[in-house]
Amino acid sequence: MEKNNIVAPLSKSKNKRKPALWQIILIFIFLFYMLVPILSTYIFSVATRWDRTILPEGLTLNSYARAFKASYFNSSLRNSMILSLSTVFVSLCLIIPTVYWVHIRFPAAKSFLEVLMILPFGIPTVVLALALVQAYNVTPIGRTPFLLIGAVFIYSMPFMYRPVANALRAIDAHTLTEAGQSLGATTFQILMKVIIPNIFPGIISGSLLVFATVFAEFTLTKLIIGARFKTFPLLLVEYTRINGNVAAAFSVISFTIAWLVSLLILWVSRKGQGASAEALRAR
Amino acid sequence: MAYLELKNVSKTFTNVVAVKDFTLDIEKGSLVSFLGPSGCGKTTTLRMIAGFEQPDSGTIILDGVDITPIPPNQRDIGMVFQAYALFPNMTVRQNVAFGLQMKKTPKDELEKRVKDVLEMVRLQETAKRFPHELSGGQQQRVALARALAVRPRVLLLDEPLSALDAEVRVALRGEIRRIQSELAITTIYVTHDQEEALSISDRVVVMDKGLIQQVGTPIEIYRSPQTRFVATFIGTANQFFGKVAGKKLIVSDGLKILVAKMNSFKEGEEVVVLVRPESIHVTTEQQKREGWNSISGVVETVTFHGAVTRLGVNVNNRRIVADIVAAKTEPISLNQKVWLMFPIDVCQVMAKEG
Repeated sequence: MEKNNIVAPLSKSKNKRKPALWQIILIFIFLFYMLVPILSTYIFSVATRWDRTILPEGLTLNSYARAFKASYFNSSLRNSMILSLSTVFVSLCLIIPTVYWVHIRFPAAKSFLEVLMILPFGIPTVVLALALVQAYNVTPIGRTPFLLIGAVFIYSMPFMYRPVANALRAIDAHTLTEAGQSLGATTFQILMKVIIPNIFPGIISGSLLVFATVFAEFTLTKLIIGARFKTFPLLLVEYTRINGNVAAAFSVISFTIAWLVSLLILWVSRKGQGASAEALRAR
Repeated sequence: MAYLELKNVSKTFTNVVAVKDFTLDIEKGSLVSFLGPSGCGKTTTLRMIAGFEQPDSGTIILDGVDITPIPPNQRDIGMVFQAYALFPNMTVRQNVAFGLQMKKTPKDELEKRVKDVLEMVRLQETAKRFPHELSGGQQQRVALARALAVRPRVLLLDEPLSALDAEVRVALRGEIRRIQSELAITTIYVTHDQEEALSISDRVVVMDKGLIQQVGTPIEIYRSPQTRFVATFIGTANQFFGKVAGKKLIVSDGLKILVAKMNSFKEGEEVVVLVRPESIHVTTEQQKREGWNSISGVVETVTFHGAVTRLGVNVNNRRIVADIVAAKTEPISLNQKVWLMFPIDVCQVMAKEG
């Protein structure tokens, strides 16, 4: 018996076999599939000419210079920021209270909400855009950035809903709410002081997903508002017809910005959370 | 007039009757337990008092005011939950201060009260820690402090010790009783653990299937159960089913059992006689004593429980259990023939049904 006990950990480490060859190959195929487009975009953005050789004939930063100097560069970047941040804000204000409310008071409506959250994936974006344009054209918000925010909010709804709902399910929201009520807090106070701090990681990942999705959104913007509110993806697509290298540079810039904003949101949230994040991690 | 009154309170959940016609008066400053098996309606009743559930009918009156329509956050009723329900994002101090902040208590007063209640539950030194850094027992003491800090009119405890180890459970229930008496706070304690209910309550409400079975002091509940459910749920009771055969005589499977009080049962009626194991004296030789029943049987099991030893005795192919204090009794072994003696006044006669 004793012998077995001593041998057990050893044999366990021996059991940790090296991955089989086919597993390694599979992983490489996957990485290749994922990384090649990104890497080639990066290389293409600094390439001089790249149609006669396997590797670019030379390297230059000219495309970036042209990208930064492009008319609409600043305004489209600003518009994209406005659109993405407003949508994140609207998402936070609408989705969190709704999900909490349904979770606590109308659990029967949960399945309805789940179905609702899959709809944006089911409706083709073009259909959504054209339908919205038709419906709202007669109203004052037709073909304005406000309608666009509403549209991309619907489009990005599942990305906020899913992490928030999961985070809410992970805490005992019911009992925490009742504990708060028995201490004299209103539902709103409980939401702000108890529920939100405890589902914060879910809220952050939801915000990041919504931000990234909306920052790269093209179809809805193009069809609802077009050139009157040029966003970064619109500018990028315009340049694919003018100069591929500059378009690639735009892609890299867009990717970098999304990445930086994500880091910023993470950093701010960590700072704001402090010890309570630690408390949540420990659970 | 009692401090807290429940009048004909009923509640049904989708065709399941949770609480039926519950009427109870609770005196100010007393500790009342709701005791019963799971699904008996004790927690539902507590949640209606807290305001988390609305009764289908009936009223709940606190200090002369009907609180039935008042939302839970305006009732001034504190609650301690089985799962502690401490706010994970707040320190112990912040948890305890939460209710006071909701009431906009001035800062000096707030600090003083937080300090006082933490002292009361003996957790001053943990004020800056987070709930996850505390043991279960400590967390539940914080929850108690948090509920007490706002000085609620009534304190509700919903199986507060069920999630804890046996040792912590016993220590903490003593703490709860001490603090409750010190503050003289009207308290309702829900539990399925009879020992817990009997040891800390002024009064015990035994419930089953949504109905109150009996209300009384712990001693009354234990010594004079009014229904067969109470008698068998609280402690252990031997049951002799039989028929009334005389003024004080009941015949059960050929055994003749004399009882002191027949209550209102008449000759020929089917009844059950209940005898607690600790009321039975075990002897190895037959003794004649006035006012005692004496039946014989064979010892089938001997189980050592520490302070007492429990014997399982076969009497006419029926198992009767008797507790003996080992130190005071002659040694008894398996398959030994013994006499079971019990005074006629410990025999409780009650209806076969119910």
